[in-house]
Amino acid sequence: MREMIMNELTQTTQELARGFAQYLPRLIVMLIIVLVGWLIAYLLKMIARSILRLTKFAKLSENAGATQLLKKAALPSSTELLSSFVFWVAWIGFILLGVSALGIGGFEEHVSRFFLFLPRLFVALVILFFGLLAASFFSRATLLAAVNAHSRSPRLLSLSVRLILIIFTVSMVFEELGIAEQTIILAFGIGFGAIMLGLALAFGLGGQDLAREFLERRLTRERKEEKENELSPL
Amino acid sequence: MAEESFLTDEFLRQLINVGEVDILIGVPTHNNAKTIGPVIQNIQAGILKCFPRERVVIINADGGSRDGTPDLVAGASISDAQHASNLFTLRTLHSISTQYADGPDAGAALRTMLAAAELLRAKVAVVVSPDSVEPQWIQRLAVPIYKDNFDLVTPVYRRHKFEGLLMRTLLYPMTRAVYGYAIREPYASEFAVSDRLATDFLATEEWNDELGRIGPEMGLTTKAMAGRFHLCQAFLGTKAPVEGTSSDLVAAMRRTVGVLFSSLDTNFPVWSASNGLAPVPTFGSPAEVTLEPVSVDRNRLWEMFTTGVSELEPVFRSILSPSTLQELVGLASGGNGAGKYGAELWARTVYEFAAAYHRSVINRDHIIQALVPLYRGRTLTFISENESTSAEQIESSIECQCAEFERLKPYLLDTWNGGK
Amino acid sequence: MPLKREPGWYKDAIIYQIHVRSFYDSNADGIGDFQGLAQRLDYIQELGANTIWLMPFFPSPLRDDGYDISDYRSVHPSYGSLEDFRAFLSTAHDLGLRVIIEMVLNHTSDQHPWFQESRSSHDNPRRDWYVWSDTDNKYRGTRIIFLDTEMSNWAWDPVSKQYYWHRFFGHQPDLNWDNPAVRAEMWEIMKFWLDMGVDGFRLDAVPYLIEREGTNCENLPETHVLIKELRRKVDEQFPGTMLLAEANQWPADLRPYFGNGDEFHMAFHFPLMPRMFMGLRLEDRKPITEILHQTPAIPPTCQWCLFLRNHDELTLEMVTDVERDYMYDMYATDKAMRLNLGIRRRLAPLLDNDRRRIELMNGMLLSMPGTPIIYYGDEIGMGDNIYLGDRNGVRTPMQWSAGWNGGFSTADPERLYSPPILNPLYGYPAVNVLSQKRTDHSLFSWMKHIIKVRRSTPVFGSGSIEFLYPANHRVLAYIRQLGKETVLVVNNLSNAAQAVELDLRPYKGNILVEMFGKNIFPRIGDLPYLLTMGPYQFYWFRLRRI
Repeated sequence: MREMIMNELTQTTQELARGFAQYLPRLIVMLIIVLVGWLIAYLLKMIARSILRLTKFAKLSENAGATQLLKKAALPSSTELLSSFVFWVAWIGFILLGVSALGIGGFEEHVSRFFLFLPRLFVALVILFFGLLAASFFSRATLLAAVNAHSRSPRLLSLSVRLILIIFTVSMVFEELGIAEQTIILAFGIGFGAIMLGLALAFGLGGQDLAREFLERRLTRERKEEKENELSPL
Repeated sequence: MAEESFLTDEFLRQLINVGEVDILIGVPTHNNAKTIGPVIQNIQAGILKCFPRERVVIINADGGSRDGTPDLVAGASISDAQHASNLFTLRTLHSISTQYADGPDAGAALRTMLAAAELLRAKVAVVVSPDSVEPQWIQRLAVPIYKDNFDLVTPVYRRHKFEGLLMRTLLYPMTRAVYGYAIREPYASEFAVSDRLATDFLATEEWNDELGRIGPEMGLTTKAMAGRFHLCQAFLGTKAPVEGTSSDLVAAMRRTVGVLFSSLDTNFPVWSASNGLAPVPTFGSPAEVTLEPVSVDRNRLWEMFTTGVSELEPVFRSILSPSTLQELVGLASGGNGAGKYGAELWARTVYEFAAAYHRSVINRDHIIQALVPLYRGRTLTFISENESTSAEQIESSIECQCAEFERLKPYLLDTWNGGK
Repeated sequence: MPLKREPGWYKDAIIYQIHVRSFYDSNADGIGDFQGLAQRLDYIQELGANTIWLMPFFPSPLRDDGYDISDYRSVHPSYGSLEDFRAFLSTAHDLGLRVIIEMVLNHTSDQHPWFQESRSSHDNPRRDWYVWSDTDNKYRGTRIIFLDTEMSNWAWDPVSKQYYWHRFFGHQPDLNWDNPAVRAEMWEIMKFWLDMGVDGFRLDAVPYLIEREGTNCENLPETHVLIKELRRKVDEQFPGTMLLAEANQWPADLRPYFGNGDEFHMAFHFPLMPRMFMGLRLEDRKPITEILHQTPAIPPTCQWCLFLRNHDELTLEMVTDVERDYMYDMYATDKAMRLNLGIRRRLAPLLDNDRRRIELMNGMLLSMPGTPIIYYGDEIGMGDNIYLGDRNGVRTPMQWSAGWNGGFSTADPERLYSPPILNPLYGYPAVNVLSQKRTDHSLFSWMKHIIKVRRSTPVFGSGSIEFLYPANHRVLAYIRQLGKETVLVVNNLSNAAQAVELDLRPYKGNILVEMFGKNIFPRIGDLPYLLTMGPYQFYWFRLRRI
């Protein structure tokens, strides 16, 4: 029995050793991939950063309001964020590649799914970015127009425009990512309906004056304008 | 590739018949049938009175009128075939009309008229408004260029002390401070251009920009100032109030302030290096003001200013420096009449806007729109301060505004590239 | 031997205006004479003119270039004798040249025996032959013509202690045409010359014959009665004689002098001439079309007399102040060039000696409706001398050759009635008949050619005129038409090449034949007829339907 135990032990040890001997190179390969991956990712990050700087991305993101958003959340600048994003995506890609080199069963499937998912993620991010850009632009345009037209509640108008656009964007992003499609569409429907109803109610009940004013201005534009500005600015 | 011609063949044919001229009078129109008849008559009277010997042509650039304006212009030619006219001229006086587009477009109109002037080798191109013209304006606008070799003649009017406040509180002081030319009306509907300036202006790239379309008149003035052309002013008399054209303050700001701000971009090397005032002679009496009391809805102005400041605060945050914004917010929350939007604060506001415009911190058009409520605040203060002042006091308060703009010019240069 | 006078001969005439004194001196006394003129008639014939208009050649103190006559029935001794005149007239008629002479009806010289008698005493039978008055306050509404020299239309006669009336110089007392004796005597004088064979009279200063209180004493109805009477007598006794009115008036005021074809045959179109010069300078046809538009229609037997320059100043009485200032500034920069209300210069110097402009102006003169007058010397481009007094600067000796006195006279140069032009540009060494005859491209040769073309068709003399108004105002275009003959004239008044589109649709199907080179131009179609024209170029086209 003792011999049997020893035998088993030896056999196990040998198997372990063999297994280890078999596994070690893979581990080393993995480590190398991860390390080289880090290097490449870092390089990509640098390239991305300089490209973004060259294209004055900061200005664009400031226009989109993204910069302010980030500042509020105490996050680094948009350029920094995006280049970090590039770095992490690349490095994670390499890590996964390395892990798959270990040959763990079933893992390869995850890895390939990750790589398949990447373009969609990218598209989603682009949509998000431009969505935010549009939301910010149009909400500000509404705000300015409303203020200069002397409307009663410019902020409300501007906020509604922003909200509608953000919800729309987010739903598109989620759809692109394929996450909880049903729920999102439902939620978007409910949210959009609610805002519309709210606006309708606001116009109908709370904003009677606003609505009347709006209509008046549409219908009797010229006379109104003359009264509005007795003095010519030029 | 050849650039697409913007002059029609028919128009060119008419220009060939007109041949070389000394003076071109341009009238941009769009549905001006009511006023164009007397305007053309007054132009003709002006020509006959002081330029009986010169070769003159009246060019009407029409933006697709549907009320027969072009026919009225073309019918007003004093040619040999027509003897009914009681006007006597030595020469045939052509009036020709061309339609440059299917809708009004100040840039295309000016470009058409200047191109005609260049083709006809006119020494002077006088542009007048289709609403009202006095015969003597033709002489006053044309002579400085025709006889004295100036390049741009801008008008000076007799007008009410509270008319043209955008001109007096912003455009005049700022162009004067930045470019060093004391031009009272840098944006005018009546002015005269020399052949040199016209050719130079026609060659600019800006025609394809939106700016060229929106505010060519202001662009012309800034071009002349930046190009160090010879500028002068001519007193024209009472400016007849024009109905409905300037009531849209936002559009007016775009045409003027927007164009001025954008001109600072291209002309940075010129204005950043210039200091002091270039001489700008004024022919005739200097600007005159009339003092009749007018009723202004001050509460409304105040309300528009305060709501503007409070509602647009997030927008201002990306345009204005924190200290300026703080002052404005304090001013707006103080209640009507509590505080004054003074000349210094106003100059600083405008400069910060100009710098923000240059850096495009947000959409440029939004920057211009955001200035509107603040201008209303400044207007209110100006009106309150000068409620019962004399003409001299008005003049000194404008002078004071100019001084602030001039004093703060280094501040504009500081804020120009970031660094609030 | 008188020429056969077919009716209306004056409509196709080309008149050559001469001063006997200035043309040719045959007896070496420094003054031109009739014998000399007779010797040079072949030159006038060669030029192509067919009528001679002689300036006054009567005995005269010559204080107004012979318009101050002291004997109406004789020839000034400097110019020869009456016999010399008869010989000249006969030679001219032999060469086919008609002769028109001056008849000064309005006034005489104060040296005329009539006036001497008249002033001798208040009861002299001839006292009433002139207009006398105790006061110089009569006829105050009358303008003074010679503004530069005369203060009043009345002059004090120290002999008879009364004022006498004169519209021109003080030494030219006006005859009293209300006196039947004056009228009868003047008709006798005209008969005297008509009997000799002259073909017509240029009647000087016609508007001023009669004076009436409360009027401006011009163009009075009584004057027209007088003229009608003269015309009737002429038609009865000397048919075919032509009467030409000198009346510097607006066309509408001139029109009555044609009557119903029973007063004058011809009259000068004074307002047109300055406007031709003005249109040329402005490069704009407007002044020309405008004045011709204002010109009233005249009876079919009547005719306008057109001229570019004559022995007087280029008169600017018939223009507005703006136009006069313009003309002065453009054509008479030197004050010495101005006289009264006019410019005393010849054609060539007025046009800067620019051959193209001289040709264009002559082209217009010969193609517009009327009988053209060519002032002696202008056909060779003679210059003037603005430093000679009065209008003598345009009355210098004819320049025949580059030789002694320009070939005008063999007298000592000091003896000449007037110094010849000597300047290097216009003087006789540079501008003279002899050298111009030798070259085909000289102005003289060109004038010969254009006169020949003009005389090749009666359409220019008698045809109707219709202006075309192409949009290009620098081009003056008109259609002359007579019967089946149609001529299109296109003038470019500009110093630069021009394109012009003519609306010739009424003449669709015709081809154009250029009248100088006889070349064919494209057929007229529905489209505007496009012509391109060089600087100051003009075309005469005969329209032909083939």
